[in-house]
Amino acid sequence: MALLLFLIICLVLMLGYPVALTLGGVAFLFALFASFFGAFDMGLFGLLPNRIFGILNNQILMAVPLFVFMGVVLEKSRIAEQLLTTMGALLGRFRGGLIFSVFFVGVLLAASTGIVGATVVTMGLMSLPTLLKRGYSPELSAGAICATGTLGQIIPPSIALVLLGDVLSNAYQQAQLKMGIFNPKSVSVGDLFAGALIPGLMLVSLYMFYTLFRLWRSPADFGSAITQDYEPASLARVISALLPPLLLIFLVLGSILAGIATPTEAASVGAAGALLIALLKRQMSMLALKEVMQSTVKITSMVFLILIGASVFSLVFRGLGGEELIHNLFANMPGGVVGAMLLVMTVIFVLGFILDFIEITFVVVPLVAPILLAMGLDPVWLGIMIALNLQTSFLTPPFGFALFYLRGVSGDSVSSGQIYRGVIPFVILQLLMLILLGIWPALATWLPSVLYG
Amino acid sequence: MGKLIGFFEGITEALGRLVGWFTLGMVLMTLAVVVLRYAFATGATALQETALYLHGAVFTLAAGFTLKRDAHVRVDVFYRQCSERTRHWIDFVGTLVFLFPLSLAIGLYSFDYVMNAWRIQESSAEAGGLPWVYLQKSLLLGLCVSLILQGLCELYRHGKALFGREAC
Amino acid sequence: GCNDDKQAAEATPIDSAKQIEWKLATSWPKNFPGLGTAPEHFAVMVDEMSAGRLKIKVYGAGELMPALEVFDAVSQGSVQMAHSASYYWKGKAPAAQFFTSIPFGLNAQEMNGWLTYGGGQELWEEVYAPFGILPLPGGNSGVQMGGWFNKEINTIDDLKGLKMRLPGLGGEVLKRLEGVPVTLPGRELYTAMQTGAIDATEWVGPYNDLAFGLHKVAKYYYYPGWHEPGTTLEFMINKAAFEKLPKDLQAIVKIAAKATNQDMLDEYTARNVGALDALVNEHGVVLKQFPEEVMAQLRSVSAEVISEQSSQDPMMKKVNEAYREYEAGVRKYHLISEDAYTRLRE
Ligand code: NA
Ligand code: NA
Repeated sequence: MALLLFLIICLVLMLGYPVALTLGGVAFLFALFASFFGAFDMGLFGLLPNRIFGILNNQILMAVPLFVFMGVVLEKSRIAEQLLTTMGALLGRFRGGLIFSVFFVGVLLAASTGIVGATVVTMGLMSLPTLLKRGYSPELSAGAICATGTLGQIIPPSIALVLLGDVLSNAYQQAQLKMGIFNPKSVSVGDLFAGALIPGLMLVSLYMFYTLFRLWRSPADFGSAITQDYEPASLARVISALLPPLLLIFLVLGSILAGIATPTEAASVGAAGALLIALLKRQMSMLALKEVMQSTVKITSMVFLILIGASVFSLVFRGLGGEELIHNLFANMPGGVVGAMLLVMTVIFVLGFILDFIEITFVVVPLVAPILLAMGLDPVWLGIMIALNLQTSFLTPPFGFALFYLRGVSGDSVSSGQIYRGVIPFVILQLLMLILLGIWPALATWLPSVLYG
Repeated sequence: MGKLIGFFEGITEALGRLVGWFTLGMVLMTLAVVVLRYAFATGATALQETALYLHGAVFTLAAGFTLKRDAHVRVDVFYRQCSERTRHWIDFVGTLVFLFPLSLAIGLYSFDYVMNAWRIQESSAEAGGLPWVYLQKSLLLGLCVSLILQGLCELYRHGKALFGREAC
Repeated sequence: GCNDDKQAAEATPIDSAKQIEWKLATSWPKNFPGLGTAPEHFAVMVDEMSAGRLKIKVYGAGELMPALEVFDAVSQGSVQMAHSASYYWKGKAPAAQFFTSIPFGLNAQEMNGWLTYGGGQELWEEVYAPFGILPLPGGNSGVQMGGWFNKEINTIDDLKGLKMRLPGLGGEVLKRLEGVPVTLPGRELYTAMQTGAIDATEWVGPYNDLAFGLHKVAKYYYYPGWHEPGTTLEFMINKAAFEKLPKDLQAIVKIAAKATNQDMLDEYTARNVGALDALVNEHGVVLKQFPEEVMAQLRSVSAEVISEQSSQDPMMKKVNEAYREYEAGVRKYHLISEDAYTRLRE
């Protein structure tokens, strides 16, 4: 039944009715239908208010509208465009400078939040219009933005890793207690942060190499020659275009690292700072401010309605025995660590199409992690593998949260199809990274062992 | 009929504009929390909670507004290529079978939850927190109403396009 | 196909006609040692004692709902049971704070005495009655630790401007002493400590703190946990669901809860020892006692805060008076029994 629901949702989503309402609506109807045959207990819907209120009252998720606000201000005031094009010009007269600027800014932004919705949306707002305007192919632009946006999950500090660290730490203890170890070794959020750093940076390097390769093979994707013809900019202009927004981004990241603000609060530092810069540069009017607020409202509402829809879906999925389904799958796990790990990764990948990070972290990981850890796997490595895997899943067409979010802010400039085609190379790069990490766990485990002993 | 729909759309628009200011409020309040704590060593739980209330209000009360602006994302691989009439059909049926049941379910299942919070005048559990948790919880009903109001408008609009005069 | 799977998973009981299934939601992460494993053990006990007639499925925080939604869910009957701590419900019923732990209040042994033989249980039931919830003590962590600090606390002035994650009454006390109680989700604690966004945080005790890894981001480990000297956890049971149970199953639930209440204290008592040893000797944590001058200040402000809050809510006033009456007696006696022995056996 649970499987059937999953398939039906995938089909109905293709019709093109809004994703959030489809997820929630189909799930509810399906539950109603199943309840007639005694296959679903409608009493479970009593939990709906608790779950939705949980989303409403989640302070960590408040980072989303704050980041979106910052992104919209930087877009509408054209600060983002000036930043990216000036940086692109500085990177030399060769084609593709702009896209490397996007990577650079994207990595900094990705570091400051770990919520996929926040980074993809912010990056999309800031860089998509500029890239398209300069003649970059929509596919390449969309792919680069989605891929950089999902990096937020793995480049610390990341809320996704925080949640995962919490769950893994308990699973690790559980596994050791079952083996009779009562002063267990611990795995903390700090270990995961350290473990994620090398794989995260390697991933960025892979993106860059791929982009260079593509630049060499099909330069036409990187804008026409005419638009590349920058005027030699004066030093003053360069400074005025680069300095304020770069300072802003460093301020956001710096306020977290210096302990002035939590990641959620840092987003407000960014938003207020962006507004200040725009006002000082006289690139923000009352009318523009109203537009900023309206856009922030629409994008925030879009992101959160998806979370609510996904929450309804996962409630029904569970009520139909989805958890038992997964449980049974793992109970008959193929022999050996490799087989078990492969199975777990595949299931998480598929679930990542529709279930959000929180849901997977709380539902699937506690189920499988104690088993895998008892088999002797390293908790840091397991955590990074899961995070990378989910990141890939969120990027994989036709359903992935990163894709939904970018499509949500791209207006009519880019179609879903173009986004799909654009991300595929990046999905392959991520899979490659997963395989590399699978073969060499030290990529994740080395740094924490050096830092924390 | 048209008048009523116009009235509903007016409410949707007004809500959208109102919560727009909330986003600015959230930014400034959260910033103030940071400044108060870092520069003045003062906690500001009440301010922190106000920002959180506003945050909840933004996406619940403006769910309909977002729908009106067609900003709820779609998987538009197929949708984009089909005829205008087919699109009207998808939206008409979708509103009828997905939006309404889902919104009603949210409203009905949340009703007691919200009423209980009102009955006990639920307040924050934090030291120095706000005493209006029941208002925050009421946003669940706000989500339902906001979606249904705009849902009716969507149904009317797509119905009119599909069935011409019969709908009026 | 999937339907068969579900049936196969349920095909164990002897008499399936009489089998009752309950959901129990907790406020703890799944597998959380102590707090989280206690309700799991409870469910196994009930299953065995009832020969499979009452099956209780335990859900961790975030699985069915967020951690602090469990009260409402039990009250509305969306789940039949929960495992949590009553001081979380201060915003719904201020008196609820007394049934977990209050600053400078009763220790574990004294709490159990009050609840079972000192009239505490009856008051607790009265506080929860309007919500249709039956409360039962569901474990105790013993005296908790004072918390993890990156600043030394030598005088009361060291609390001024101290940014500490300290919820509830303890937070209110810190605020009166010009400290900054910070409201942070547990998950953000580690990063906040690491970056210095907060200077200090409380958690539970060595057994849980070691696993959380706070020793990697804090220098000093202070004792004692004045703000939570004998934290009682709770089972909440939906009253209507409980009354529908046959008498023998009701008794089984109560006895299993009672056993769980004792078992958790036993577990913490035994496990804290090795964990503290590992923290100090393997991880080089600096163990420190709060200076007596600081404790004295904290104590007097705590009394002030509690009596002030109690004067604002009739039910809380009633509970406070009963609590204080019992406390005065038990303190007097423990001075010449437990305390005297602990002091003199060295
Ligand atoms: Na990040
Ligand atoms: Na504690």
